[in-house]
Amino acid sequence: MATPSYARSALCLGKRLKLSPPPNPAIQCQTRGLRQRATPAHALAGTSPSQHVQKRHESTQSAVEEAQPSPPIDAATAAKELQRIRLPRAVQATYLDPLRRPSRYHVKTCELQLRSYSIRNLEVFADFAMRAAYYLKLPASGPRPLPKITERWTVPRSSFVHKKSQENFERITVRRQIEINDGHPETVAVWLGFLKKHQYYGIGMKANVFEYGGLEVAQDMDAEAEAIAEKLGETLDLVGGKRSLMNSEEEVQGMVESEPFKAAWGAHAAMSGAQSVPHAHKRIASHVVE
Amino acid sequence: MAQFRPKRLDLGCFTNIKIIRDHTKRKVFEEHEPERQALRFMIRNTSLPQRTRAQAQLQLTQMHCYTRPTQIRNRCIMGGKGRGVFRDFRMARYQFRMKALAGQIPGVKKASW
Repeated sequence: MATPSYARSALCLGKRLKLSPPPNPAIQCQTRGLRQRATPAHALAGTSPSQHVQKRHESTQSAVEEAQPSPPIDAATAAKELQRIRLPRAVQATYLDPLRRPSRYHVKTCELQLRSYSIRNLEVFADFAMRAAYYLKLPASGPRPLPKITERWTVPRSSFVHKKSQENFERITVRRQIEINDGHPETVAVWLGFLKKHQYYGIGMKANVFEYGGLEVAQDMDAEAEAIAEKLGETLDLVGGKRSLMNSEEEVQGMVESEPFKAAWGAHAAMSGAQSVPHAHKRIASHVVE
Repeated sequence: MAQFRPKRLDLGCFTNIKIIRDHTKRKVFEEHEPERQALRFMIRNTSLPQRTRAQAQLQLTQMHCYTRPTQIRNRCIMGGKGRGVFRDFRMARYQFRMKALAGQIPGVKKASW
């Protein structure tokens, strides 16, 4: 067979079934679309199921005569039963609009902007992001379409002399924005990480994340600075010049005023702007050795 | 200037001498930028003595011309042309047109309005 049996259309099945003496209405009336996957293999196979069942019944008749034979499966009822089986909710939901969780406090915690040159990719990914937010229990709103960005370029079709004949090109960037309200910073980070992991082709993303602190911001920052200082240890002393040297103001003042230092930046030269030029003996750094 | 150029070619795109020269200039400028900025700061800082500032001026003018940002010019990565180069695509106008018509620049289409 060139095509597999499940790939043939219902019309084809009908044709085949006409060959067998009793036409089977159960298969002709089977629904198409989503449900088709749920139909049993034998219903879609080449032979009609009633024949199949009959054959099996004959072969087992003698052997299991007294062992209470199970009633033969009627194809019509089987199809009905199968129709009644629903798809899992999560699968059904993919055919519907993404679900949203209501926001309670309306405190914005994240703004995600998606950009693309192709609207289809963008729609798909925005939908994906909304679903991801729902399952992470983040109240998301959107995707809100932002104004398109249209860039246009005009170039001459050929060389300089033929300036009259030009051609226009454009690039339109479409944008969508998804806002997360009342999201825990960690959950938002998880959401963004998940979206980054499952990035879709041709989509750019950028996110503004808002974090809120208590009123004691300064104290928190001090505590954080101390924690960082502990971690860094001695290396912190070297940040922005040696701290241990800078601690005593007089020392620094003395260093700045010392004549060798002044000389180094040109205080002793002409036009230096310094008040006076010291005598030679003062220009030498002298340390008292004890 | 050959003294700034690396021993081996460190470019992957279309190359001709103008492109290599421009590339060298970019690298040299990047290397010397802090020095240039420091000198510029000294020249403009009125709290410094005149002499220091004059010296800084001299030093700045005596630096190699390759360390100047004005030496850098955008060139077409496809053909090395120096004029009509789009900053967005780093391509000269004709190369841009060819690529855009071939659909090789993402999102760029022929416009009509």
